[in-house]
Amino acid sequence: MMSEFKYHRPENITEAILLKRDLGDAAAYWAGGTDLVLQCKSGKRRIGHCIDLTALQDLSFINAAKGGYRIGTLTPLSELERLNADTPHLRTIRDVAALMCTVQTRTIATLGGNLCNASPSADLFVALAAMGAIAQVTGLGGTREVPVDAFMLAPGKTALTGDEMLTGVFIPAPDVPHASAYRRIARTVVDIALVSAAASLTLDRTGEKINEARITLGAVAPRVIRATGAEEMLTGRPLSDLIGTFAKEVGATAAQSAKPITDIRASAEYRKNMVAVLVARCLISVSTELEAGL
Amino acid sequence: MKIRLRINAHTHEVETRPNQTLAQVLREDLGMTGTMMSCGEGECGSCTVLVDGTPVTSCLMLVGQAMGRDIRTIESVGTAAALDVVQQAFVDEQGFQCGACTPGFIMVAKAFLAENPTPTEHEASQAMSGNICRCGAHPYIVRAVLNAAGILAQQKGSEHEQSEL
Repeated sequence: MMSEFKYHRPENITEAILLKRDLGDAAAYWAGGTDLVLQCKSGKRRIGHCIDLTALQDLSFINAAKGGYRIGTLTPLSELERLNADTPHLRTIRDVAALMCTVQTRTIATLGGNLCNASPSADLFVALAAMGAIAQVTGLGGTREVPVDAFMLAPGKTALTGDEMLTGVFIPAPDVPHASAYRRIARTVVDIALVSAAASLTLDRTGEKINEARITLGAVAPRVIRATGAEEMLTGRPLSDLIGTFAKEVGATAAQSAKPITDIRASAEYRKNMVAVLVARCLISVSTELEAGL
Repeated sequence: MKIRLRINAHTHEVETRPNQTLAQVLREDLGMTGTMMSCGEGECGSCTVLVDGTPVTSCLMLVGQAMGRDIRTIESVGTAAALDVVQQAFVDEQGFQCGACTPGFIMVAKAFLAENPTPTEHEASQAMSGNICRCGAHPYIVRAVLNAAGILAQQKGSEHEQSEL
């Protein structure tokens, strides 16, 4: 049973932000609300005011932009899974969205909600952080950009302050070969990830050498983290090195970055072991895609 | 708060509270108990209704989020005397036992077949994956969806013939 709250339905971003400023911490922006409603139902969270963003439909969009793509914060997962993706990162986003919750909840749940809920196991969070996506934040003080990998501070806590709202993300699409992949282990399709990993590689112009590697891990720390040791192993290496056992070695190094806990879903030891497996699988998927020149 | 909801092509004025979900308002305030509530956590799909043509777990949607949108519930699908094609297909294929999950399945199937009139078995089972039938009728349910797709295609074909005559 949800406790009582007041309901507000702003018609535009400015109105929403002014409400948040006036109502303060007692108020919550309500995007799809599929996580918030459960937290309120279970009593884990009590809010005094719901700022329902349903009317802000101009924040639901997927657009090409200079050097990449912008996706609006209110874009539902069902739109992401229908992406007619012709670029590597958007293909990954599409595949990740299709894994999440269920057909009839993906129509409500939003990109921004998944990021702002700030769960260390959030699927899109892990994938976007690997891609080097940038969160677009707007408040009365102006707009600012926060790299997605720095957007989560702790479980349920983001870099947003005061009246700030996440309005969308920018996903880079460099004009050199690049690709990304996401893998997770979940008990059932509906359950959240027990452990997850994403990898993103950007090559040099010749398509032979790895210029930038980003590896992110979900559900193995209080926030989505990067496996910097594993990234360093990859940077500057020829892509062809990923054939053979090297992907497994990188996976094992990534597992060193994991600081998992034991909980009802899995043991710390299992999570750590699976990080090695998932990172290797991501890397094999990414290198296969890059070798195929997609 | 007093709100207006557009449900099954009728406008309803409801006195409710903001912390109510669409599922609660449908069942408790409007007496439309065809929409079932089982898990209340968006996992079982039995509360599925269509909002602007897309399936939605109504137990996760605040009633405020449903304002100004076109809501369709199982009450708008067929009548006891004249079942909808999808309902008849569920009967013919025995796509249920106890029936508690059936309205949710039917609503998802309606939306799915509108979007994909010629599904493969795999596509149909993927589309039905957000609903749980605890009696275990899933294979029969997928068959029912495929059966309904076939009948709808036939009907469309004969309409087309008639219009050509």
